[in-house]
Amino acid sequence: MKEILKTKNLSKFFYGLKALDRVNINVEKDKLTLIIGPNGSGKTTLINVISGFYKADEGQILFNGMDITNKPPHEINWHGIVRTFQVPQPLKKLTVLENLLIAEQNPGERILNSLLKKWVKKEEEIVEKAYNYLEFLGLDHLWDSEAYKLSGGQLKLLEIGRALMANAKLIVMDEPIAGVNPVLANNILDRITELKKQGITFLIVEHRLDIILKYVDHVYVMANGKVIAEGGAEEILNNKEVIEVYLGATDEAVKCGV
Amino acid sequence: MAQEYLILDIVIWFGLYLIVCISLNVEYGFGGIPNFGRALAVLIGAITVGGIVNRILMATFGVSGGIVEASGLVKSVTNEIIAANPAIGIGILVASLLLAALLGAITGALFILPSAKLSEDYLAITLLAISEVMFMVSYYNTDMIGGYYGVSVPNVLAFVPGEQRLSIFALIILLIAFLAYLLVDRVTNSPYGRLLRAIRENEMVAEAYGKNVMVVRIKTVAFGSAIAALAGALYAYYSVNVIASSFSRVEWTFYPFLMILLGGLANNKGVIAGVLAFVTVKVLLMVYKFEITAALHLPFEAVWLEYIMFGILMLIILIYKPEGLIKEKPIMTDPIKRLVDKIKKAK
Repeated sequence: MKEILKTKNLSKFFYGLKALDRVNINVEKDKLTLIIGPNGSGKTTLINVISGFYKADEGQILFNGMDITNKPPHEINWHGIVRTFQVPQPLKKLTVLENLLIAEQNPGERILNSLLKKWVKKEEEIVEKAYNYLEFLGLDHLWDSEAYKLSGGQLKLLEIGRALMANAKLIVMDEPIAGVNPVLANNILDRITELKKQGITFLIVEHRLDIILKYVDHVYVMANGKVIAEGGAEEILNNKEVIEVYLGATDEAVKCGV
Repeated sequence: MAQEYLILDIVIWFGLYLIVCISLNVEYGFGGIPNFGRALAVLIGAITVGGIVNRILMATFGVSGGIVEASGLVKSVTNEIIAANPAIGIGILVASLLLAALLGAITGALFILPSAKLSEDYLAITLLAISEVMFMVSYYNTDMIGGYYGVSVPNVLAFVPGEQRLSIFALIILLIAFLAYLLVDRVTNSPYGRLLRAIRENEMVAEAYGKNVMVVRIKTVAFGSAIAALAGALYAYYSVNVIASSFSRVEWTFYPFLMILLGGLANNKGVIAGVLAFVTVKVLLMVYKFEITAALHLPFEAVWLEYIMFGILMLIILIYKPEGLIKEKPIMTDPIKRLVDKIKKAK
């Protein structure tokens, strides 16, 4: 067991509200770790703190043993962490293809290199890679339309495609398959399983347990900013506390006649 | 004869404004940085010529005293030397342009540095304020570039007979505008241009994908300011004097914004269209404003016609045609063009 990401007593407060309360998680390398929990339990806050968009108030985040706590988002990306957003964040006036191309670092993004055309080789490589991802996601026919023309579901796919496209060691996804049709959701998770074999680790927040559970390696359950349970999928499904706060107290529901 | 001057006027202003607008388009059109301090970079270009080159010449010829009187003396001495030796005139021009670009870049970066983290509207106001302060200082402080007296500037084309000077200068301005356009077009039709547009659309995504937004902004403003400073230096040599009042926010910040909005943001060809349309109307208005006022029986002085017209034009563009004359287009790098061919073949 080798962990790629580790949080140590990570806490985040919003004016007295403990959004994260001494959270300790270990993300194992080349595995899919799932975080579940009711709304407002701190899942997205955790992602925001890990990716540098929020500053942690206490605790530490270690990535491959290196302390990355409170570094700016772009530096965290350079270490190899990429994240997606729960609400898709398209670059609206850029084309679908361009939205993916931005995921990688290109030498031509510097003024002098762009003047000297020191970017054509890299561009060639990422254009092909991006188009392959568009084909996989079924967005290839839309490659040259601006992102604002896409539907909600398509934007979701674009958001995923951009993250898979980036050369990341750890991909953190916030509800990647919410609003995606089941067939494609399974395809995406199959692709994730494939990428896992290539040495990419996934940390995912998701509510669609029916689809995702058969793909996950390890589950953390959060409630009120705390981790209340962890374990394999089976173990979690049978955990009493988890059933109570998240999955729903089925027994009581039956008693009440729901 | 009058018509010839009209055309020369259009060419000169087209060239000067193209340089300023193409630089502003990189910052605002592509990068979404609302640089309401564009006039500052142009002023820096003029200060380079009127304040710095003049002082270098004063030191060379051993002229002492206040800059206002000394610049007049330096001008006549330098003009004589240039008349006998054209290479010196061209040399001074080229060196001044390079120095102006360098100082433009430095001041641009310096002034955006503390404010680059601000959101769009606050950034615009801050840059406008910095530009205004600099304008006031250079207008009321007579030591820098002569304040409200202004300073004289050598005629770098002193070797050219008087009647040809204007047309040759127009060609020089046009040439430099053309080079600035090519430079910007090459730099923006690349992953850098795409990055700027991405930052403009969504800063958060750019950060999440490893782009250092602050640094990109600072470099972009430095690049834009370097180019805009060329226009200031050229304008100083064209008018053979520098006076701060010629570098007002209306002429060098608001009009350029109007021109790039008219032409189409984030589209370099659009900038050409916008500048050409604007300059033609402006020059014709200036020349014929008395006739127009008389013909239309306007109840106000002719000088206000320009401001009113352009103000209304700005509103019309923003309401009815916010994308401008030529719409923003995706950046088609060579590899993307090859992809298009492949897709077409597959069909």
